[in-house]
Amino acid sequence: MTNDAIINIRNFTMTFGKTKVIDKLSFEVRRGETFGLLGSNGSGKTTTIRALLGIFVPTAGSLTINGKPFDVATGAKLGYLPEERGLYRNEKVIDVMVYFGQLKGMTATAARDWSLEYLQRVDLADKAKITIGKLSGGQQQKIQLGVTIMNNPELLILDEPTKGFDPVNRRLLMDIIEEHQQKGATVVFVTHQMEEVERLCDRIILLKDGKAAEYGTIAAVKKRHNGASLDDIFVTVYGGKDES
Amino acid sequence: MHNLSTVVKFEIVRSLKKKSFWLLSLAFPLMIAAVFAVIYFSNQATSQAGEELSKQKFSLAVTDESGIVKPEVLKALSAKQLDTKEEGVALVKEGKLDGFIFIPKDIGANEVQIYGKDVGIFDNNRYASVTQWLLSQSIDSKFNPSELAVVQQKVKTEVTTYQDGVERDAIKEAILPGVFLILLYLLITTFGGQMLASTTEEKENRVIEMILTTVRAKTLIVGKIVSMVILGFLQMAIVLIPVIVGYALLHTQLALPTIDLSELPVDWVRIGIGFVIFVLSFLLLTGLLVAIGAATPTAKEANSFFGVIMLLMFGPLYAVTLFVSSPDAGIVQFLSYFPFTAPIPLLLRNAVGNLELYQALISMVILAVSSMLVMMVAVRAFRYGALEYSRKLTLKEIFAKE
Repeated sequence: MTNDAIINIRNFTMTFGKTKVIDKLSFEVRRGETFGLLGSNGSGKTTTIRALLGIFVPTAGSLTINGKPFDVATGAKLGYLPEERGLYRNEKVIDVMVYFGQLKGMTATAARDWSLEYLQRVDLADKAKITIGKLSGGQQQKIQLGVTIMNNPELLILDEPTKGFDPVNRRLLMDIIEEHQQKGATVVFVTHQMEEVERLCDRIILLKDGKAAEYGTIAAVKKRHNGASLDDIFVTVYGGKDES
Repeated sequence: MHNLSTVVKFEIVRSLKKKSFWLLSLAFPLMIAAVFAVIYFSNQATSQAGEELSKQKFSLAVTDESGIVKPEVLKALSAKQLDTKEEGVALVKEGKLDGFIFIPKDIGANEVQIYGKDVGIFDNNRYASVTQWLLSQSIDSKFNPSELAVVQQKVKTEVTTYQDGVERDAIKEAILPGVFLILLYLLITTFGGQMLASTTEEKENRVIEMILTTVRAKTLIVGKIVSMVILGFLQMAIVLIPVIVGYALLHTQLALPTIDLSELPVDWVRIGIGFVIFVLSFLLLTGLLVAIGAATPTAKEANSFFGVIMLLMFGPLYAVTLFVSSPDAGIVQFLSYFPFTAPIPLLLRNAVGNLELYQALISMVILAVSSMLVMMVAVRAFRYGALEYSRKLTLKEIFAKE
């Protein structure tokens, strides 16, 4: 483990019933980098993140953030955009944002001020008192992103972040990622969209059958594959098959 | 617990903002008010109609084989006396007489027969009213007031009973401890659905993963349960205050019995036991409903379990006489100690005074332990069921070793 690792995963194994989803997986994410957690559907990406965040209990191994298992009360300032996403549909936008802000450690006033400023930025200032269920899908995505980045997280974990996003929100997401990169935040990008990975990430891990098929900087991974693109490397690793 | 107060505040505020909360809360007092209003206006209408009936004039004849009817009473009604029943019936049929009353020799064994001109479903009652008046006026003068009270079954009684030489009134004593039984029933019937849906909402809205990275599952569940309890007490106040105010203002008009609270015996031990059993039962049931909600993917699926819980909880009400008369019966003992059926038997037996102190203490311990266990199960079900968006958790999965 390097001294600047914010996430450290060692010999992580995860079994559901008789199915071994992750098999002795080890890797680390360094502070301040943008890290790509890659793999096809069913390769174990989301399971790894859920175990890292304490949502799943690992079968074996250790998963730590800042040297200890993640704890909502004492852990890192986290911004997490899960793959399965949604918000309280029957509550008002501002109430939900303030609630999440408070859960993330902000005062009600600070959360309200920040939310109103964010809504202004994403052209939703007039929707603050509308119930979330009445917003369009794209507008709900903007609220979701806002909730994710509240309280200036030091670690952003984005699981399939562009899934279902329209081009406007995709651009917003990229801007947000870049802003947080500049502020020194660590970003973990869970995806199988290789184009975005190449543009944003410093290092990657490519999972296959719950194991690391590739791990390192993008340049090093490409070098091992004779300069092939990440798309081609992905196809090579999976042998042209999707595990889903 | 980290973020507990934030969760509790959020849950309470958003419930209070829901129209359904207020509709459910006010439905009961409004329903009670509507029932009493119907009774009140119905009484008024009946009374007015009765008065109008008595003022109606119609031709009447009587054949009295019993000899009960006094001539002066007949005279007061301007009624004729006929010799035979056949004559009276014929006159009515011909339309020459509005009403005819045939009083047989033995009215204890035979019915008084009334024949009359049809004047509508309500007004036809005038013949029976007049017959009743005719007979009672004829008889009343034969008795002194005391005998009359006996005949009319209007004798007032006052019962004083003693237990170990001390005067006690079992019915009045049951009122204050019995209040908790009514409160539990009201709370669960009006609030149960909301408890059940409280944990499915996060799953149905797919917000659970984001929530679980900001607050521990245990804190979220405890926060939901605490907010339910607070909302429950609030709802209780919303139900009771209009009922109490309504009673205070309208009990005379509605002919409700006057309750002098200062006359009610106050047994602090029984009231205390009732309160503790009420709180523990409420916690147990809330935990149970939250656990079911946590283990099922949607509120709709969770609702299918609601009937079973209600049956367990309120099924014992069908054996109410057994709890009062045979507290030592095996079935009563079982229902009193089995945690999911215990609340009603315990509260009822405590109210009527046949729950011994040691039994109350044992049952409290059982309820407290059960509540804790159910809450632990609720937390586990929530943790393991949090990401099950489309299927129910099995018991094996809930209790699986981590």
